[in-house]
Amino acid sequence: MNQNKLPGDSGTTPSFRTFLSTVFSYRVRPGMAAWILHRVTGLSLVLYLVIHIKGLHSLDNHLAFETYITGYRNPLFKFAEVMLLGAVAFHAFNGLRIFLQDMYFRSERQKPLFYAVLALTIIVTIIGGLPIIFPYFITPLLP
Amino acid sequence: MSQHYENKEGAVSRAKAVVWLMQRVTGIGLVLFLVLHFWVQHMPTGFLANAGEYNEILKTLSEASPEAVDAIADGKIKAALPGEHVITYSKVLERLRSPLWKIIDILLLLFALLHGMLGLMNVLGDYMKRVQLRKTVLFFCWAVTLFLAGQGINVIMAVGMK
Repeated sequence: MNQNKLPGDSGTTPSFRTFLSTVFSYRVRPGMAAWILHRVTGLSLVLYLVIHIKGLHSLDNHLAFETYITGYRNPLFKFAEVMLLGAVAFHAFNGLRIFLQDMYFRSERQKPLFYAVLALTIIVTIIGGLPIIFPYFITPLLP
Repeated sequence: MSQHYENKEGAVSRAKAVVWLMQRVTGIGLVLFLVLHFWVQHMPTGFLANAGEYNEILKTLSEASPEAVDAIADGKIKAALPGEHVITYSKVLERLRSPLWKIIDILLLLFALLHGMLGLMNVLGDYMKRVQLRKTVLFFCWAVTLFLAGQGINVIMAVGMK
C-alpha cells in the first residue's frame, strides 16, 4: 500500500488541507504550467463565448444595443477586455506551439517555445490593450 | 466507405483522432478569424465610431425616442470619452448587411463553438469515470452547442432583413 503513495498523500482523511498539500506537492515545470494555463484560459473562453452569444440578442433593437454596450464600457470591463485579449492570445500561441510540436519539433524544444509563447502573449496584450485602456485611464491624466 | 477499424476500441480511438484533427483545423481557423474579429470590433479602425460620431448618433437617437433621453439621463447610455472608439448599432448593422461579413461571422461562430465545446468535453472527460455520466454530459454539451449555434446564426441572419 505504501508503495502506491501519491504525491502529497499524508495518509490522513480527505480534507481541504490534504487537498491543498496534494496540489502544491506537484512541481510546476514549464510543461505543466502551459497545460494548466491552456486549460484555465480555454474554460474561461468557453464561459465567455456563451455569454457573448447570448448578448447578440441586443442586436434586435437600437436602444437595447447601446444600453448593452454602455455596460461593457464600464472601466472595470475595460480591464476584463484586456484580460480577455490576454487569454485569447495565450491560448492561440500555446495552441500553435502544441500544433508545431506535434508536427515539426517533437518535444525537445518545448521549453524555449513555451517562453516564446509567454513573451508573445505579453507583447500582444500590451500592444492590443493600450488603445482599449488609453481613453479611460491615460488620457484623463494628460494635461 | 470501408471501415479501417476492427473492434470497438478501434472505433473509439478513431473518433478521438477525428476530434484531435478538428481541434487543429478549427484552432488554426480561429487564430485567423479572431485576429480579424479583434481588429474590427476592438481596435480604433473605421468599423468603430469615434467619440464625435458616437455622440452624434446618441443625439439622433434621443431626438427619435424619449426612452433614449431617459436612458441617457439615468446613465444607462453614456456619451463617449475623448479619444474613445465605440462599437455602435449602425456600424455593426452596416457591416453585417454584407453577405461576405455574414458568412465570416457565421463561420467564426461555428468554429468557436465547435472548438470550445470539443475542448470542454475533453476537459470534462478527464474527470469522469462512469460511462453513463460521460454519455449524459456529452449529450448535454452537444444540445447546448446546437442551441447556441441556432441562436447565433438566427441573430446574424436577421440583420438587415427587417
